[in-house]
Parts: sequence; structure tokens; C-alpha cells
Amino acid sequence: MFYYICLRRRSRSGTRGEALTSRRAVESGQRAVLPVSVEVEQYAKEVLDFSSHYGSENSMSYTMWNLAGVPNVYPSSGDFTQTAVCRAYGTWWEQCASAPPPFRRTPKGFHSQDYIELGFEEPVYPTAVEVFETYYPGAIVQILACSHNPFSQNPPSDVRWEVLWSGEPTKVLTPQARQFSPKIKHISFPTNLLRLEVNSSLLDYYTELDAVILRGVKERPMLALYKMPIIDISDLSDSEEELSDVGGPYRQGGDGKQQRTGNGYFDKLPYELIQLILSHLTLPDLCRLAQSCKLLHQHCCDPLQYTQLSLQPYWARLSDASLGHLQSRCTLLQRLNLSWTGNRGALTLTGFSSFMKACGLSLVCLEMSCCHFLNEACLEVISQTCPGLQELNLSSCDRLHPQAFTHISKLTRLRRLVLYRTKIEQTAILSILTFCIELRHLNLGSCVRIEDYDVVASMLAARCRSLCSVDLWRCRNLTDRGLAELVSGCRMLEELDLGWCPTLQSSTGCFQHLARSLPRLRKLFLTANRTVCDSDIEELAASCPSLQHLDILGTRLVSAASLKKLLQSCPRLIDMRVVQELSGLFPNVAIKKSFTQ
Amino acid sequence: MLSVLSYGRLVARAVIGGLSQTDSRDYSLVTASCGMCYGDDACFIARHRSADVLGVADGVGGWRDYGVDPSQFSGTLMKTCERLVKEGRFVPSNPVGVLTTSYYELLQNKVPLLGSSTACIVVLDRQSHRLHTANLGDSGFLVVRGGEVVHRSDEQQHYFNTPFQLSIAPPGAEGAVLSDSPDAADSSSFDVQLGDIILTATDGLFDNMPDYMILQELKKLKNTNYESIQQTARSIAEQAHVLAYDPNYMSPFAQFACDNGLNVRGGKPDDITVLLSIVAEYTD
Repeated sequence: MFYYICLRRRSRSGTRGEALTSRRAVESGQRAVLPVSVEVEQYAKEVLDFSSHYGSENSMSYTMWNLAGVPNVYPSSGDFTQTAVCRAYGTWWEQCASAPPPFRRTPKGFHSQDYIELGFEEPVYPTAVEVFETYYPGAIVQILACSHNPFSQNPPSDVRWEVLWSGEPTKVLTPQARQFSPKIKHISFPTNLLRLEVNSSLLDYYTELDAVILRGVKERPMLALYKMPIIDISDLSDSEEELSDVGGPYRQGGDGKQQRTGNGYFDKLPYELIQLILSHLTLPDLCRLAQSCKLLHQHCCDPLQYTQLSLQPYWARLSDASLGHLQSRCTLLQRLNLSWTGNRGALTLTGFSSFMKACGLSLVCLEMSCCHFLNEACLEVISQTCPGLQELNLSSCDRLHPQAFTHISKLTRLRRLVLYRTKIEQTAILSILTFCIELRHLNLGSCVRIEDYDVVASMLAARCRSLCSVDLWRCRNLTDRGLAELVSGCRMLEELDLGWCPTLQSSTGCFQHLARSLPRLRKLFLTANRTVCDSDIEELAASCPSLQHLDILGTRLVSAASLKKLLQSCPRLIDMRVVQELSGLFPNVAIKKSFTQ
Repeated sequence: MLSVLSYGRLVARAVIGGLSQTDSRDYSLVTASCGMCYGDDACFIARHRSADVLGVADGVGGWRDYGVDPSQFSGTLMKTCERLVKEGRFVPSNPVGVLTTSYYELLQNKVPLLGSSTACIVVLDRQSHRLHTANLGDSGFLVVRGGEVVHRSDEQQHYFNTPFQLSIAPPGAEGAVLSDSPDAADSSSFDVQLGDIILTATDGLFDNMPDYMILQELKKLKNTNYESIQQTARSIAEQAHVLAYDPNYMSPFAQFACDNGLNVRGGKPDDITVLLSIVAEYTD
């Protein structure tokens, strides 16, 4: 079996012949004439795709587009507007009520939370990648290169992604700027499309990136020819084979006779015990194990092993064919994570709808963040095949046509809906709120196409009484009227994100009203609201004892005295961001300040 | 006496020469800046593939009384405009758009920025040879051709010594602070020719030096190279600075004050920023 895999692998990559010839050349003492390879250094030409950012759409401040071009800020350190910043950092997002539980079987080496894809002018064989991190470095966990040229007119075909470097999320001792240049692997194809994957969970503040350099050579380096491919059992490139080759050994032995081979002690183990053991394997291992013998094949294809399926770590290799082969095992699927998959033609409507028809009936949670293959037809399929769907995440699906969102209103059992950075419009969201009355968690962050947030707030108050968290980050026109209706109608609210909502004025008393109406409040973001003042903080101290996360960065009207009062009244407070400096009186509270130097 | 044929050829060449008005060369601005006590003023010069862009901004000094540094607003505004141009996030024929976008970018800063300033943006579209301008307030520009002013900007004032201004007020004080929308800027577009001189400056110059003096200085400009432009810009700024502190001189500012019933004389001490440009052929 092992040998079979080895052979297949070598013939596919085709380096064996070349390796042998060059090896012979070295052994015979011949010197091959090497082409003079000039090293080309390039800054990113364009940011092509990313999963999140702090800034506003159409802005240059704290947005991902700042990663293209030469550095704007480096070597200065600090919280500058001209850098690329992700939406979140730290662990508090995972601690919120609105955060979904993690998926089982996540491979230990997969830490990525966000990604950024960058296109460069010239394809080169990379020799080095340098990232200029200007604040709280240490978040980069993976760098990948793609064989497809994103600027070519041809549609993508045979797209391969290769990991250049992979590491653990780190926390650097000081938040100062640095140039991060890890040792990268040499790959066999030229690339001008890089992908950075980021994990900021260990950091105390937002990581900020300024620029990326790709160094490489135009000519294929000779070094690659000498290297014999080492078979790495944890290398995921085999998983596609397994995913597409299920039943191989079966076919070879299938001559009609049902031969009962003894499985030794495995026959003595109870079925559930083997199932329990298998539940610890990652998906590629499960697929490989399925090819070892009939008994384990039966176990590995048991739908009970596939009640939760996360394909996000394998985004680079997932295709229609993979989904097709997994289909038969997924009839009891309840939670499915397809985030980041399917781009550049890997998944199509056909493959997706076939899979959803097979597993949609039992599906309760569907994560589809950054799935750019999605179109209106796909959403229609979801609405038809998943009647029991309770959680839907379409975060950053910014290529979805506004019309597509109307289908979501058919999912009347929805409890969690994430539409961060999508193009949803007023009528669609109102329609969804009319029918999806069981909503508990709603994320409309950076939904710039919604015209009147007061009307949306009003609808929420009227229809979604069990609302527990709502994210209205950067909603341009929510006023005190809408906010008042929202807090009066949705009394169960625990999390409220009103960051960068410029039209809310403290002088209307809306924040005090908010504090009095929501005794269960645990998270409140009023980022960049310049009007938050002492009386608001005092009201929060008096009425919201469960407060854990507070962001009032951007106001100058709050004094240290009222903040101290708040910290004393809210014993659970663990994360607070303010503009001014606070002394270290409260060691258990993470107090953040924004500054530049 | 020319033969009929050669005469005919001459005429033909003249006619064709006259007909082919379109000059396919790209134009550019060779610009030098000079400031006397930049202070609350700020300026920028930026190049893009499609256009050369200049800007000046005059921070309103009154903010100092409220503990706000007036140079922060004008400086950040100009730096943001420069970034916008360098990243190509603008349309050469819409300089008001540069102001509007910059202004809204200022609001995206985490730490609140306070203050106000005037602004004047000048864009040369390389290919079309047109100059597009936007002016909000009492900074401005002059275009000089053949020793005469052929275009100039108009001052925008609400009342005496109170120009139109972009501003960000502290919360609650929005009603008390003058704040004009970037859309209120005056805009104009016109063709320019090689050799045209464009002078963009804050009111520190125009309030102290009348046109004829400026033109006199510009006459001394013989060359289109950077050094000569720099020298002329400096001499203009220095002269304006000297006049500003002359208590007996009837400056344009004093003249205007008298016309409005205020009996004053002398120059107007102020920050002076001068950007002097010549339209030349584009070289990389």
C-alpha cells in the first residue's frame, strides 16, 4: 500500500528522471552550466482577497489594501492608519456568546483565522518572503504560493497551492516593528500569487502589516532538481488521492466473493470503541485509514463519524470531486465548515448542490465565510435543501449579488446569521427579519448597502425578541431613535457592537437608556464615538454588572474617575479599550490604548 | 523671390501646422515650494502616472485658544491628499473629489483629530493638458502667461477674515464651529500651455503682495529648471515676509480692510507658503 502510494507520487511530480540525470552528472564530476539567475525583488502589486479588516470599505485607513506597494510606516511602530489591520485580535471573540464552538478534528497544525491574498507583477521561483509588521508582530502563521497567475486572462486551471512556510502563532516580547522573513521552502513552479494566513489570538492588540516583499529568480534554480522528494505522511497532498480514490483496494479484490478475512483483535473490540478511536483522527488520516482494510473502511465511512465536518483547513485542495466522494458519508451531517473553499473554480454549483442535496436535511450549521464560488443559485439550493438550518455564516462573501440574500428568509429556523462585509440590501434584510424570528445572533458589520439602519433596528425590536447579540459595526446611519427601539424590544441582548457609528450622540441620552434597558449586557463596543462621556460610564457601572468587554476608544470626554467606578462595579470586566492612560490598579483587566510613535 | 512651388509648400506647411493643434506630448509641473514660518500652513506636491497634483492648506489659528494645535489638521489633510494621489484614488478632472475623500479619511482616525483649515488643490492632467482646480477658503492660485495673469482663484469668505474652511469640531460644539462641506469648494478647469507659470499659495502671500509685485518677481524667472524656480519662490516668499512686518505699507489686506470700514495700515503677519510651478514637458 505504502509502496503503491510512493510510486504514484513520484510519477505525478515527475522529478525522478530529472533527479537521476542530475545526480549522475554530479557523480561523474561533470559541471552543468548554470544560467545566471538574477534575483528579482517585488512589492505586492494588488491585494486580491482577504477575510476581514478593521477599516471601512472604500477607505485607505486600516484597510487591507494598504498591504500593496512600498511600506508607508515602517520602521516606525504604532497604530497608524496607513497599515493593514485585521478585524479582531486576542481571544475575546471566541469567548463571546455569538462565537460558534470549534469544529472537531481540526488538525493541530491549522491555526489560521484570517487570510490575505496578494498579487505580484512577475512570477518568480521564490527565494524569500519578507513581511513588514509595524505593530504587535507575530501573527503570521502560514505563507503559501499559488501556481495560477491572477492577472492572466485565462480562467484558472490546475491551480496548485504550496506551503512556503508554516509556524505557530507567537507573541513577540515588544510590540515594535520588525521585518519578518522566515526560511521558505523551494517550490517547483513560479508564482506571483502569495497568501498570508494570520492568527492574532496571542496578541494584546491588533497586528498591523505594512508591506510584503517577494524575492525570487526567473530561472528555475538548480537546487530543486537535486532534491529527492521525501514522503511526508502528514503531507496533505495525498489527501486528494484518498478522497478521490476510495474503494481502490476494494476494486482490486472484488471478484464477487465476500471473503471474511480475520481482523485479529480488532474483531473483539466493540464497534463503538473503534468509532471512538477514529473520532480523534483528522480527516485525511480517516480517508487513508479507510483504504487499509474492509473493517476499517466500514468504520471510516460510517456517517456517525461525519456529524461535524470542517473542510476549511483543506481549502487549497477541496474540489467538486472531493465533495462527491464524501457525499455518501455525510447523510447525518449537522455542522459543516466550507469557509475559504472553492475559489478559483475549485467548487461549482453542480458539485455544491449535489453535496447539499445529500446532506442538507440534517444540517444545522453552515459556515461559508469567503466562499467566492457562491452565487444566487447556491443560496437557493441552501434554502431548499436545508430546512432545519440554524446557523449560516456568509462573512466576507463580497461577490455575492444582493439579490441572492432574499433566499435566506426561507430559513425560518435561523438562530445565527453572519453577513459581515456582504452586499445585502435593505429589502432583503427586512424580509429576513420578518421571517427569521428565532434569531439570536446577527452580524451586519460593514454592510454598507443597507440604507436605513433605524428601520432595521425597529424591525429587530418588533420581530426578533430573543436577540442575544447584534453586530452593527460601521453602520453609518443608526440614530438614537433606532437604538432606543432596539434596546426596548430586544431585552435579552448581551452583546452590542456599535463601533464607528458616527450618528449616535450621547447628548440624546441613548447610551444611558441602553445601559438601563440591558441588564444582561456583557459586551459593548462604542469605538470611535466621540461623544461617550462620564454619565454614560456611570450608568453602565450602575446598571450592567455583567459587563466583560468594553471599547470606548476615541472619546476624550471620559475621566479616569468614572472608569475606576466602572471597574469597581463590574467585577467581570476583562477587556477595555480607552484613549487615555490608566494606572495599573486593575491587573486582571486588559486596558488598551491606541498610540503612534 | 520664391518659386510658386516652394511658396505653395510653405503655405501648405503653415496650414497643416495650424490645423494640428493637438500636441501629443505629456505635460508635467516642475514645482518648488517655499515657506516662511510654515507654522499652521501645510502643502504637498505629488506625482502620479496621469497627473501632477499640488495642494496648500492654511490651518485656522483660532483653535490655539482652545488647546488645539492648528497645524495638525492642515498637515494631516495635506498628507492624506498626497497619499490619495500616490495611490491613484482620484480622478484628475475632479479635484473636489480629492478634498472630499481626504476629509472623510480624516474622520477614520481612531484618535479624534480637531481643527480646521482652508484648502486649495491644483491638478494637471498630463495628457489633456488641462488644469483642474478646487479652492475652499482664502488660499488660492494664479496662472501667469506672457507676464499676465490669465486665471486666478476667488477667495471664499463668510465675512471679513473668516474664510470657508473644512473642520472637525469637538463633540457638542458642532453648532458653534464654522464647518463648510468640501462640496462648497470652487472648482475650475482650463487649458494650459508649455511655459505657463502657476503660483499656488496661502493668504499669507496674497494679503501682503499685490499682483504687480508678484509679476515683477516672476519676470526674473528665465529658466524652467528646478533651481531657478526654487530661487524665485524663495524670493517671493521672503519679500512677502518682509512686507508683512512693515507697519506703514498699504498691503492688499490693509486695503481690503479700509474698503470695509476698518482704518488699518501695514502688512499682515501670517504663515506664508508658496508653491511655484512651470508647465513643462514630461520626463520620467
